[in-house]
Amino acid sequence: MSVLQELSLNVEKGKRKVIPGLVQQALDEGIDPNVILNEGMIDAMSRVGEAFRDGKIFVPEMLIAAKAMQAGVATLKPALAAGGAVSRGKIILGTVAGDLHDIGKNLVGMMLESAGFEVIDLGVDVADETFLETYDKNPDTKIICLSALLTTTMPAMRSAVAKINAAPWRSKVKVMVGGAPITQAFCDEIGADCYTADAASAAEAAKKLAE
Amino acid sequence: MLTKRQNLLETIRGGNPDRFVKQYEAFAMIIGSPFGKRNPNPKYGELNVVNAWGVTKSYPVGTPGAFPVHTPDKIVIKDIENWRDYVKVPQVVYDAEEWEPFIEMAEKVDRKEQFVTPFFAPGIFEQCHYLMEIQNCLMAFYENPDEMHELIDCITEFELDYARELCKYIKPDAMFHHDDWGTQISTFMSPDMFREFIKPAYEKVYGYYKSHGVELIIHHSDSFAATLVPDMIDLGIDIWQGVMTTNNIPELIKQYGGKISFMGGIDSASVDFDGWTQDVVAKEVERACAECGKLYFIPNASQGLPVSTFPGVYEALDVEIDKCSKKFF
Repeated sequence: MSVLQELSLNVEKGKRKVIPGLVQQALDEGIDPNVILNEGMIDAMSRVGEAFRDGKIFVPEMLIAAKAMQAGVATLKPALAAGGAVSRGKIILGTVAGDLHDIGKNLVGMMLESAGFEVIDLGVDVADETFLETYDKNPDTKIICLSALLTTTMPAMRSAVAKINAAPWRSKVKVMVGGAPITQAFCDEIGADCYTADAASAAEAAKKLAE
Repeated sequence: MLTKRQNLLETIRGGNPDRFVKQYEAFAMIIGSPFGKRNPNPKYGELNVVNAWGVTKSYPVGTPGAFPVHTPDKIVIKDIENWRDYVKVPQVVYDAEEWEPFIEMAEKVDRKEQFVTPFFAPGIFEQCHYLMEIQNCLMAFYENPDEMHELIDCITEFELDYARELCKYIKPDAMFHHDDWGTQISTFMSPDMFREFIKPAYEKVYGYYKSHGVELIIHHSDSFAATLVPDMIDLGIDIWQGVMTTNNIPELIKQYGGKISFMGGIDSASVDFDGWTQDVVAKEVERACAECGKLYFIPNASQGLPVSTFPGVYEALDVEIDKCSKKFF
């Protein structure tokens, strides 16, 4: 088995402790850092995402795989920076005002990072203005992702999306929404661009939106 | 006309109920205990209230309930390998006189009409992630399984001590116990992981209640958990409350009716929202009753107490269930 195959398998299984060593071994073998990232880790996380979406694995398996990939990326980062690697783009992510739920949002964040995006995670209970201010500071942002887990905070999502829709830069950014009570109909009604039902689908949709 | 208690028993035992059980009507909920008095929970609008376990919770305006706060400074167990350094188990045994107000509450209940039903939350899995933060908790099942077993044993011992006190003073007919085991589309963990870590703890706790005179165990998990139903049956759970529509409830009733009953079938999000109407509630109740039938099913919103987030929704559900009783019985 090649080092890339071994790396990929261990990311998929979430074997965090062995990942830095395997990344270093791949670098020592002279493999391009972008190849290590894409073939050794991002592909593995795509398989993890598919398995999660299909109900074959659960949140713990997804979390340990994402953490394993994070360990690999940390080791790879200096080499990636030296090689001028480019991310898929920047994404602003947060749970809307009044809502303290974070696990769904965090899973989306992990899957987006695992798909090669740079994620600015604003956390939970994020005020509408914070989304706008963060975009102003990061005008190269490609997507803004909003999460709401409560029927009571759906109005906060509506409010945040309305403010984003009114922003002068709206045409330059896509808006994705998700969370337990959110539906495609609600997404359409409030004027967001994309709804997905789970974290893996969110990452896949983001890849298409960012193209 | 059957009493509320008789009607529920007829429903869950496959007998001859004379109407639908109307949500929580058969349960006289006993909320509180001497421990509960010392275990602060935030009131509506209160933020950052620390409970008896050291868990910080907030109840922001506009939300349906209190929620743990897990900024890094507020996570109780900062290192699972040394969890004993962080977890201080609260006192659970108190003098008999402290129980008197709760004994009085139980004594006021006509036990022929209703079940005296103490409420307990959070459950064992919930207590783990309240103490640890949910991602840390879920990863620790893989990365620190021994410590997770120890922590769960510790929480289980606390619950057993509480169960002994409840049975001694309140003599419950039923127990209403929360522990959310999933999201609306999946369980948080695989059934195998559930069987390794969570199920043995509930074998002890629910086993204790059942062997000490508690007739019914009602377990709340407003989620998908269809894959755990065989385990719920093993655990002696009589009613799974909070069962969401994503579980394919008619199929579950067909497969497991007679061994367990299902209380829910109406997702709170579909009726309990800003701008709800009686028509929306009527359609959802009729759909649930028509799909699920008269036996092994109790129509109810998935919310884990006899309340609604938006005023009037709980009562509106009752009105529509009465209409369905007239139509279907």
